[in-house]
Amino acid sequence: MRDTLTIAIVGSGGDGVVLLGSFLQKLTAEQGYFSQMPRYYGAQIRGGASAVKLSLDAEHTCVAEDTADILVCFDWGKYQEVTEELPLREDTLVIYDDNPPPGMNLPKQSFAVDFTKKSREITGATLSKNMIALGLLKKILALPADEVQHTIDRNEELALLKNNVAAIAAGESLFSAFPFPDLRLSSPRNRSPKVILHGSGTMVRAAIHANCRAFFGYPITPAADIMQAMQEEIGQRGGVFLQAEDEIAAAGLCVGASMVGVKSITATSGPGFDLMTEMIGLAASAEIPMVIIDVQRCGPSTGIPSKSEQSDLNQAIYGGHGDAPRVVIAPYDIEGCYRLVIASLDIAQYFQTPVILLSDQWLGQTLVAAESDFLEKDYPSTDSKKPAAEEGQPYRRYQLTEDSISPMAVVGDAGLQYQTTGLTHNEMGAPAWDFETQQKMHEKRWQKLLPLCQREDLVKLFGEPDCPAGIITWGSSAQIVRETVNALGLQHQVTVCVPELIYPLPDMVRKFVKSVEKLLIIEMNYSGQFYHYLRSQVDVPVKTKVYARAGSRPFSKKELSPLMMELVR
Amino acid sequence: MTSNLNYRTGVKPVWCPGCFDFSILNVLTRRVLPALGKPNDQVFIVSGIGCSSRIPGYIDTYGLNGLHGRGIVIAQGAKLAKPELTVIAIGGDGDFFSIGAGHLPHAVRRNINITCIMVNNFVYALTKGQTSPTTPHLDRGEGSFLSQKFYPPVDPVLDMLSYSVSTQASFIAQGLASDAAHLTGLIEQGVRHNGFSFINVLTPCITFNPPELFETIKKNASYLVEGQPVELPASATEKPWVHDPGNISLAMKLAQFSVLEKTHLGILFHGKESQPPATPSGQ
Repeated sequence: MRDTLTIAIVGSGGDGVVLLGSFLQKLTAEQGYFSQMPRYYGAQIRGGASAVKLSLDAEHTCVAEDTADILVCFDWGKYQEVTEELPLREDTLVIYDDNPPPGMNLPKQSFAVDFTKKSREITGATLSKNMIALGLLKKILALPADEVQHTIDRNEELALLKNNVAAIAAGESLFSAFPFPDLRLSSPRNRSPKVILHGSGTMVRAAIHANCRAFFGYPITPAADIMQAMQEEIGQRGGVFLQAEDEIAAAGLCVGASMVGVKSITATSGPGFDLMTEMIGLAASAEIPMVIIDVQRCGPSTGIPSKSEQSDLNQAIYGGHGDAPRVVIAPYDIEGCYRLVIASLDIAQYFQTPVILLSDQWLGQTLVAAESDFLEKDYPSTDSKKPAAEEGQPYRRYQLTEDSISPMAVVGDAGLQYQTTGLTHNEMGAPAWDFETQQKMHEKRWQKLLPLCQREDLVKLFGEPDCPAGIITWGSSAQIVRETVNALGLQHQVTVCVPELIYPLPDMVRKFVKSVEKLLIIEMNYSGQFYHYLRSQVDVPVKTKVYARAGSRPFSKKELSPLMMELVR
Repeated sequence: MTSNLNYRTGVKPVWCPGCFDFSILNVLTRRVLPALGKPNDQVFIVSGIGCSSRIPGYIDTYGLNGLHGRGIVIAQGAKLAKPELTVIAIGGDGDFFSIGAGHLPHAVRRNINITCIMVNNFVYALTKGQTSPTTPHLDRGEGSFLSQKFYPPVDPVLDMLSYSVSTQASFIAQGLASDAAHLTGLIEQGVRHNGFSFINVLTPCITFNPPELFETIKKNASYLVEGQPVELPASATEKPWVHDPGNISLAMKLAQFSVLEKTHLGILFHGKESQPPATPSGQ
């Protein structure tokens, strides 16, 4: 009996690979298994490689394993395109459809199952091969038959399985007994069903929960999932959804909706994020709340749209001309995707500032089966400063206050009409061109954000505190970093610091950096953007090592382990 | 809601003395807004960048002097999110037909109930006299416009009127900044029109326009009156027809005459009104 099992499935786009993985994930999650299932796909919509890697865990939330215990391959040609993401081990069980290319060495336990032929025999078409594979994998996982049936009967999203009973049964009877005792997965410790979410979907749920009622966006990979889901969710609630003509318009529409008091969000990826830069400057200058989700992908320029990288950090922190402050937040897991969208909307509103939420393709599109408690929790919100009625005094939209936050009226508020501009403006919002105002308004916009540095809830520390060795990592890379530390049993020797609030830099991160003798920084971009940013804010230890490399290939435990062993040596 | 019927702020305009932007400001603050009877706090004026885009700062409603070319998108976001507001987007020919030209057809096809006032002075004035997409190929006296010196345009102007007709904006009008009474009527009807309205306001730039530009425009101007024959330029081969603002084909014919040959002032087209928009809930 084992507590974890990883199943890789690969085929050609249209083979039903993602569907098969999703069904398997749903069936196991209903039993109580945790899982994580990243998707790998190329540039083609149909006919390109399509693969998933489903890592199941009977005990706790998990991160996709480096290698698979089982590989189901519908197409060896397509497998060649994802060997980096789905490496095999000697003991991997391989079940395949077509003949492997000449010269390819398959692991010992490799079985040819003619899925295509079987599918044709049963249904007259080849489309059911994923269902036959589902039957086979269900058998290997030994999921209790009645409970599975019950799950299928109850779930609309599993309706397809009812029409494929024959194909599933054929898969189940491929092996008469259970010939792979090593692959037997133990029963889940906690039988409560797990919820299946990906980062992008989670962000949408959070936005709706936080009363975001306007969404504007332009289709782009891999952020389009957010737009699609928002269309449904906002539409059902009578809010405003509009597909803009470009990302400039998407950001501008957000600014407009926000000024009239409706919480609004836009979501995009690298190239679209660039186009929003000027609008971020306006929002910073005129102090307009705005939340932009950037689902990062490989750059520069068009890069690799379907693969992950953490290379938009510089643009998020510094993008734009003229000293325009903003807030940058990066969740690293599903729970964070939920909590931090709520926090971002709140921060944008209270501090009257643009907030950039950095997700990435991995975090956004990897499907996770997790406990759902975070979806039901109460999240704090801060009441915005509203203008008080001052008899005979005209309303000052940019009134200088002790905390630099001015009471904010929204367009349409009775009797509080104000005029504002992206020109340097005085407390009334009227254009100004003198040094005093220019200096004072810069101070106001920058200083109002400083209390955020004290937010301890936006920095996560893992492992024993006060270790002489520390790791800082951010965004989705934190998942594999933590997993590797745990797998190596280094929790008592290494503290892992994951800043969710990146800009402005939390005091807690400064303190952490000063507390360690050796520091390892891990991030997925070529130039070490976080490292350079960190150095600009705090003196890092002499013994600081940076592990920064290009994206497109996910980090693996095998890759990170030597770095961590080196850190504690 | 409050309305003090005085729609001017205390901010002093930066315009050149005698600028026709003052006329448009007066048309809005002294005529259109009082006539509409909208409370100050229920009107939102959004502009782009340029001389005329300074206007929101001078009008005591909610106002935003935004980004070059983007006033129209911010205006749509505001109107969608709070449909009860009266939303007006103001900008110059550069805003609507150069840097922000990509936004216009989309605003048109959505037919969102905002009013666009294009203060068209045929020139980039705030940056001191460069050509705009609407600049006619004329000599300024001291020579041709700077950016036309080396590459004189084949097509003299990007014809904003033909463009808005061809994209079938649901309300299209053309006025003259110097005729305040007539312009008032156009803007008022544009705001009352339930849908996207586009008003091209021919506005002399006293600093950078060659004087003969508006002399020609005024000489060739004629007012469109529904049910009355239209005036056509001498070059026209057709006989004048009776003006029918409900007919998009006739509007297209009118729009295609060069503004310097015959300047049609009035409502060129008045088409489909949009459905009343749904009010977003849960604000």
